[in-house]
Amino acid sequence: MTTTSTGVRRTALYDEHVRLGARMIPFGGFDMPVQYASILKEHEAVRRRAGLFDLSHMGQFVLQGENVGEWADTLTVNNVATIKPLQARYNIFTNPHGGALDDVIFYRLENRWLLVVNASNAQKMWNHVNAHLRDSGVKLTNLHGSNALIAIQGPKSVEMLAPHTGVDVANLKYYFCSEGRVYGKAAVIARTGYTGEDGFELFVDGGDAAEIWSKLLADNREAGLEPVGLGARDVLRLEAGMPLYGHEMNEEITPIQAGMNWAVKLSKPEFIGKQALQAQKDADDFRRVAGVVMAGRAPAREGYKVFHGDREAGDVRSGSTAPSVENKNIATVLVDKDAATPGTQLAVEIRGTKHDATVVALPFYKRPS
Amino acid sequence: MAQPQDLLYSKEHEWVKMDGDTATIGITDYAQNSLGDIVYVELPRVGAAVEQFGNIGVVESVKAVSDLFTPIGGQVTEINGELENDPALVNREPYGGGWLFKVKLADTAQRDNLLSPGDYEKEIAE
Repeated sequence: MTTTSTGVRRTALYDEHVRLGARMIPFGGFDMPVQYASILKEHEAVRRRAGLFDLSHMGQFVLQGENVGEWADTLTVNNVATIKPLQARYNIFTNPHGGALDDVIFYRLENRWLLVVNASNAQKMWNHVNAHLRDSGVKLTNLHGSNALIAIQGPKSVEMLAPHTGVDVANLKYYFCSEGRVYGKAAVIARTGYTGEDGFELFVDGGDAAEIWSKLLADNREAGLEPVGLGARDVLRLEAGMPLYGHEMNEEITPIQAGMNWAVKLSKPEFIGKQALQAQKDADDFRRVAGVVMAGRAPAREGYKVFHGDREAGDVRSGSTAPSVENKNIATVLVDKDAATPGTQLAVEIRGTKHDATVVALPFYKRPS
Repeated sequence: MAQPQDLLYSKEHEWVKMDGDTATIGITDYAQNSLGDIVYVELPRVGAAVEQFGNIGVVESVKAVSDLFTPIGGQVTEINGELENDPALVNREPYGGGWLFKVKLADTAQRDNLLSPGDYEKEIAE
């Protein structure tokens, strides 16, 4: 990892992105590829074949100690201590008001844990976990920027990765992980992702990242593997109904409002924000995230007002054209309870004109099984 | 792509093709490339009066909404209906099938405010 004079950092794969002609933008403190050839072509590669992503901007913390699970259970909404070795689980750190500090994934390895946090929250989360160590005996190591993270996502991920690793990736279960090698380099391989497709995330040393990246691309170029930037990643995750921190969830928007109730375990004895979330759930009168499909061609964008009849009912949190949803425009909206039921007719105000939208159940897209 | 030599240009990356007192307007190859995949184009209505360099619509790519300015003022006589169902035509043929709209010029002297192909070339080289 290097830092430029402007303070924007580079991942271990920066030179690869430049060589591939990527358009680079600052994101989460790093210079990241937003697109290579075309967002829509990259999206198609992931849905039909596979795409390769550089996610090294995301924060990676190593957690060690006897009580990692019990300790993390006091800071998060989902169960941690019940995670089995070589299993991964989605989770959300909350503040005392129930707002989301970050949404994360815990990976439990044989002798340590990996905690992956959003790039934009990496410093905040590092401070947060350190401030709550108390007498837990948990030891924290920050790998943000030094370790790399490469994802391969798409229906051909297994056949593209399997020949280059000793790990039996075909039989690795969804949300499980393994330690092994890829092209002879040490890697944690997890069957996780953020695209709605099958795929893997590879945690590797920054010094090995460029070799693994370029070999995977070269060996699978003919099979249709393409580098994919953050632009397509955002479309893929939105179609798959996955929240993006800062959009569907933030320090004011709780996991319950974000519709992540499945991850909120109010049966846990105690965690930061539990009381507030319990009260919110009981009252059931809050604005919540729903999916809408636009009737017309005009895309809904973040911040646009949403109307239910004549009443302003909320706003758009994310919006995009959706190639995997019949090329319609889709959006997530944060709206009043009575405006959030599937089938409800809403209107999104776009440049002063109201455009029809229909509430649908999330996710917008499910991969063919 | 070299700039077509039979067109005039604006600093906002639109091109103008003059035909008598009618101007056909589009965005340049440089503009479509900068925007990326175009998914929506919002144009003025036929019959609308537009002012030179006025903000008259939007061009939206997957990630961004960009204002559209008209390099020529006058009355809108035609819009490219193909773009309703195929906005990516602007990406594929920025100087051809991806034209945006036509304007009957209010005043032919407006063309003096536009850039020659050479001057536009310099503009985007900066």
